[in-house]
Amino acid sequence: MGKRNMVGAGVLLALLAGLPPLLHNHYLTGVFIVCAIDGIWAASWDFFSGLTGRENFGHALFIGGGAYAAAFLNGNFGLSPWFSIPAGIAVAVVFGLLVGFPTLRLKGPYFALATLASAAIMQQVAINLWQYTGGSEGIYGLDTLIDSSLGFYYFVLAILVATVVVLSLIARSRWGTIMRAIKGDETACQAAGINVTFYKIASLAVSAAFAGLGGVLFAHYQQAVTPDDFDVFLSISVIIMAYVGGIGTIWGAACGGILLNLMLELMRGLGEYRLWVYYVILMVVLFFMREGFVAPLWRRLRGGNA
Amino acid sequence: MRRIFPLVASAVFAGGVAMSVQASAAGKPILIGLDTPIQHQVGKDTIAATKMAIDEINAKGGVLGRKLAYVVADEGVDPQLGVSAINKLTSDDHVDVLIGGYSSGVQLAEEPHIARSKTIWLGVGAASPNITALVGKHYDKYKYIFRVNPLNSALQASQIVDFATHVVKGKLHRDKVAILGESAVWVRGLVPVLVKGLEANGMKVTYQQLFDESMTDFTPLFARVKDSGAKYLLVILSHANSDVFVKQLYEARLPMPYGGIDVKSMTPNFCSRVSGAAVGETTVNFITRAPITHKTIPFWDKFVKVNGRAPVYTAPGAYNAVYLYAWAVKKAATTNADKVIKQLEKADYVGVGGKIKFNKLHDDIDGPGYQNLLFVQWQKDCTRQVVWPKSVATGKVVLPPWVSN
Amino acid sequence: MLTVLIYGAVTSAVLAMLAVGFTLIFGVARILNLSHGAFYALGAYCAYSFTTLLKLPLIVSAVLAVALVAVFGMAMERVLVRPLRQSSLAVLMITLTVALTVEQVLFVVFGSQSKNVPAFVNFPINVHGVSVDGQRLLALAIAVVLIGALWLFIQRTRLGSAILAVSQDPEAAQYMGIPANRIFTIVMGLSAALAGAAGVIAGPFLSVRPTMDQTAMITAFSVVIVGGLGSIPGSILAACIIGYSQTFVAFYLNPEWTGTVSLVAILLTLVLRPSGLMGRVVNA
Repeated sequence: MGKRNMVGAGVLLALLAGLPPLLHNHYLTGVFIVCAIDGIWAASWDFFSGLTGRENFGHALFIGGGAYAAAFLNGNFGLSPWFSIPAGIAVAVVFGLLVGFPTLRLKGPYFALATLASAAIMQQVAINLWQYTGGSEGIYGLDTLIDSSLGFYYFVLAILVATVVVLSLIARSRWGTIMRAIKGDETACQAAGINVTFYKIASLAVSAAFAGLGGVLFAHYQQAVTPDDFDVFLSISVIIMAYVGGIGTIWGAACGGILLNLMLELMRGLGEYRLWVYYVILMVVLFFMREGFVAPLWRRLRGGNA
Repeated sequence: MRRIFPLVASAVFAGGVAMSVQASAAGKPILIGLDTPIQHQVGKDTIAATKMAIDEINAKGGVLGRKLAYVVADEGVDPQLGVSAINKLTSDDHVDVLIGGYSSGVQLAEEPHIARSKTIWLGVGAASPNITALVGKHYDKYKYIFRVNPLNSALQASQIVDFATHVVKGKLHRDKVAILGESAVWVRGLVPVLVKGLEANGMKVTYQQLFDESMTDFTPLFARVKDSGAKYLLVILSHANSDVFVKQLYEARLPMPYGGIDVKSMTPNFCSRVSGAAVGETTVNFITRAPITHKTIPFWDKFVKVNGRAPVYTAPGAYNAVYLYAWAVKKAATTNADKVIKQLEKADYVGVGGKIKFNKLHDDIDGPGYQNLLFVQWQKDCTRQVVWPKSVATGKVVLPPWVSN
Repeated sequence: MLTVLIYGAVTSAVLAMLAVGFTLIFGVARILNLSHGAFYALGAYCAYSFTTLLKLPLIVSAVLAVALVAVFGMAMERVLVRPLRQSSLAVLMITLTVALTVEQVLFVVFGSQSKNVPAFVNFPINVHGVSVDGQRLLALAIAVVLIGALWLFIQRTRLGSAILAVSQDPEAAQYMGIPANRIFTIVMGLSAALAGAAGVIAGPFLSVRPTMDQTAMITAFSVVIVGGLGSIPGSILAACIIGYSQTFVAFYLNPEWTGTVSLVAILLTLVLRPSGLMGRVVNA
């Protein structure tokens, strides 16, 4: 990692770590918490879809899986919220494997539609099995992991950093190269003797694991889960975040997550017009910045080849 | 003299500081935080009614010498947006009281966050009994939660049983009932209570079915209702597509009168929106232009005059909530939450829909004189008549135009 | 029994109108148009505006609404989609933001309450003892006519052949002198017109709310996947299968589960035969 990149990362981290205590505002800290969780979700999505080029339109399946695991253990069975973390990751990984096996052999739009359908089906299940899931009201009254909002924020921020670091390391390793090769020409990889199926499914599982972890953190921040946590809108928001951040960069996607949620919250002053303006801004960004916004911006700021 | 002067000067200075602190506190308005879905009609009316109440109270001098003001945060129908709205209102705007609510799912997610902020919450839109159940389970944590409006769904069920017994069975002589409702959790809690009550009063439930709120084709359900031998259809609709339901029922000419909870049908323009197809439907309402209390008609007329439309059910709730809060603060002589809560718990306040009084769970109660469901029927030319309870009825219940006796 | 037959046909007809447009633009231009649902919503809202706000006669409003939606679709294709055609993800995203923006505009301009699109036919019609709402039968008839007309147009006219050529191989078609770009725009217009027409004709008996585009999209997806992306006959067949399944479940099983029918259909198709009933083989 080049020196200029380290400086950039350092400044960003300093800002993220330093602003909330300075602002000393429980509401803004909460906003930053959700920003960081969005970053985890976007980074985990980008790891799989950005590198392999297979757009996953059902990332909410893994998010909701983690969230509902947390809700069952803590809400229905009263276990300590710390058990939610391994449980949420496990459930998300299982979902990833279940969805991955039948769908990863599908090309392009079919994989996208299959993942979208899987998340939508899970959402229906969550609504229909209301005796266990609370139906559309969901499961509420969950405990917090760390009671102090600032304390929880640092915990989530640490996990975000760890997520980006771990996923970036994998992306830079042979594993990542194989993933990119699969994006380029899968048949060639197969011919070269690479077990393409294994790498695709393993990558999806890793992506799911981190998404599920984010889901657990979200559940214990919001202290409630609802079928909205499986919603297609959530999946799409994650893709938009990664896109704006810069697909394939992982750290860019994380920044996209942070930036977009921050924007949305700060735009509350626009009242009824908030989402309208937001989508128009998105349209402009998506139209004029094909490579995204954050990553290309950083490349330009940093200049040269660091 | 030389010794006294500094003493007097200090006293005057201290007094002046004290008075200016007092004045600036007096100058600082009491802030009401509205947590409501601003793009939806229920949200817009919550805001409009709050504004109306605030303007009236301020014109009379405010509360404890301070003016009232309000700030709005959108909760949408999304728990995440709702939680951040609560946080914004309490930690950023530092409101003195919260008013609002609509979706029970969002409200339940918001509860721990409201409790944590130790700000009083006066709910005006969500009906799930789970919302106030928490007050009983963990009083110290959740004592800030109050429900001013609407009646919780369990109470609504028992009032519907009353209506069914006296009007459906008593006046229309129909004792076989079918129930159709959306599959929301609050409906699932309501239906068994309803069925038990109906059967205890000599009525038979021949068919019951819940459906997903996004459903747009009700014809198969109407066929089943008809085949079951039912003579009256009870509906329980809130987020479902009531306009389509009513239109399709009219198209199918379902051979029986119908009514129940239909939140969308509470809107004064609902019948004309569906080109008159709703004539014959009886819906519960929390307010209508009738003298339920001496405040009802003045509120209704003024709301129509100021806003150019008639109010939906969250409007009287919000209006009552603002006045109720002002009353409680005056009695407690402070905005300190604990003290105001004590006053609210003792409230017996005449609102625009009835008297408001809370039970141990801080939930509004029903009963003679208190807030009750009004059963309002769409009749010829989309006029509305209150057909039950008798004490406020303005007309008699009729059969839908295509149903013969 | 006859009731199920007729209602199933009406449901299938509306599904087919939505799906055919969606599959058409994919088959020809490889565009997964996520704003297709928005065209449907705009059709209904335009019909509402023209009849109720501008007080225009019903037929005029209907034709104007469809025309307006077609123009909107073509404008979107020309201005936003064409420059981004190299990246399918970019096209997906831009059509998505268009849909989200349209939904927001509808919320702000028309409010959250449902609107009433007046029906052409206001009375029930008796079909062999089954009383069916006239508007629904009209929807069935119009769907058949429009889809039939589209089919004939593609098979019998020169422009139709050009469209077929472009859908098979845009570059080769270009070499033959067929302006592929213009064809894409025209096809988008046709696709939008179909969706808009569905909104106008079904609006009276379905729900007209700002979020109506979402349900339309999920339904269109399911039909198109089952039928095979890009195949019009496939979409029609799948529309009938899913439409009748939904009606069957609603009438004979549990109405709570009608929403899941389309989702299960998608899953089954993708697991068993991803290319759908009549699409091309698509394993990676």
